Amino acid sequence: MASRKVIELFYDVVSPYSWLGFEVLCRYRNVWNIDLKLRPAFLGGVMKGSGNKPPGLIPNKFLYMGTDLSRLAEYFAVPLSFPNDPDETMFRKGSLAAMRFITAVGERYGADEPSVERVSREIWMRVWCRDEDITLPASLSEATLKAGLPAREVEELLQLAASEKIKDKLKSVTQEALDYGAFGFPLIVCHVDGKREMFFGSDRFELMAHCIGDYPGIITQFVYRHIVTFIRGQSSEHP
Amino acid sequence: MYTLQASTCYLHTMERSVLYFIIALEISQGITRQQTTAFQTIMASRKVIELFYDVVSPYSWLGFEVLCRYRNVWNIDLKLRPAFLGGVMKGSGNKPPGLIPNKFLYMGTDLSRLAEYFAVPLSFPNDPDETMFRKGSLAAMRFITAVGERYGADEPSVERVSREIWMRVWCRDEDITLPASLSEATLKAGLPAREVEELLQLAASEKIKDKLKSVTQEALDYGAFGFPLIVCHVDGKREMFFGSDRFELMAHCIGDYPGIITQFVYRHIVTFIRGQSSEHP
Repeated sequence: MASRKVIELFYDVVSPYSWLGFEVLCRYRNVWNIDLKLRPAFLGGVMKGSGNKPPGLIPNKFLYMGTDLSRLAEYFAVPLSFPNDPDETMFRKGSLAAMRFITAVGERYGADEPSVERVSREIWMRVWCRDEDITLPASLSEATLKAGLPAREVEELLQLAASEKIKDKLKSVTQEALDYGAFGFPLIVCHVDGKREMFFGSDRFELMAHCIGDYPGIITQFVYRHIVTFIRGQSSEHP
Repeated sequence: MYTLQASTCYLHTMERSVLYFIIALEISQGITRQQTTAFQTIMASRKVIELFYDVVSPYSWLGFEVLCRYRNVWNIDLKLRPAFLGGVMKGSGNKPPGLIPNKFLYMGTDLSRLAEYFAVPLSFPNDPDETMFRKGSLAAMRFITAVGERYGADEPSVERVSREIWMRVWCRDEDITLPASLSEATLKAGLPAREVEELLQLAASEKIKDKLKSVTQEALDYGAFGFPLIVCHVDGKREMFFGSDRFELMAHCIGDYPGIITQFVYRHIVTFIRGQSSEHP
């Protein structure tokens, strides 16, 4: 009956590393006995507020990211795949409409309800798996339906997403991330014994488990990964 | 054996003997198969892993210690490649992460947690700006290159001297730019005093300056934008990893699952021992 440790995940669907962190935390949410709080925010705002620049602007970093992400996608069993024109996807089109929409879903159904997770995942599947648009209302509508929400809700959500209330909400969650010291996403904040441990990236899970005192988690991660690898070896279908 | 007898008591003595013989045969064949596999593994060529590093880089120290520790457990052939981070930054158009305020603050927290986690006695210098940017590591990396040239790139000397220089700059906040500093590190690494003067002269030679430049260029040719850069050679292919946070993925890519378990077990043994002892390792 020990209280679950609260872990906040600040993310933006434009960020591929955020998707990896999101899936890992969603998977281990019960194994690690944590209370996962999804905090959809705007990466563009964090970059601006911290004076940082996207890693992809350095040529060698951009090349490395492609290799790194395809290896990690296979390792974490997340169907992540680079879009044909990453520059257009990440920088010219961006994710402002999508993050406002996810914020609206949270506002409408409750921030901790499964809807936020499902809609976020479907939008990631569009942009970082099937290389589909995520800026137009029709795109967000399709993702919402795929996430299992009723069609009659879609119009309301689109309108809510365009409201001042939701624009401000997204701004304020983004500011919270900056106040935690963010310079990129994913930003993971663990609340342990009244203290806050902040982690950047999707490559600190072992350290995180060590800091929140959850050793069984490491073994489970290890076992899970090998079960997945084994099953994938048996089956020809992509999970 | 008693359980075996109890469970086979219904069998005739002759049948039991045959059963025991078959079991013994299975066990011995199993042991032989394991031995054969182990033998084959040992005789199978070790996978070459190159580590490009610079002592100015704290994350490089973590990667260095982890790879040195697991060098035999993971059955790898670790090749230390001392290089110059400043040259990699320049050549790739990258900038040191510490120049972004939020990144710099995060690095401090991240490194102290990782130091404890990896049991490496890493500690931030009082003036990181001076240590990392104004004073830098050019003399130190030329010196380490000279050690490699003098003793052989794969000899323990390169590892020991690198470690002692890291202990100076990233543990005790001591200088690593002056000849006296590099001399002290060399002696601490167990090299004889008479060698020090030769090494200092060699370090200042054109030959060594060029050698450091060329190893740095190799890192850039691999696509480096920072250190540590780890290049694994597996089945004729190259897998390149940046940073000290890809070891699990690396073990997966080079096909070394026992390594992951060992890492986990090792870390917990260390934590346990540290809990028992009051001395700093």
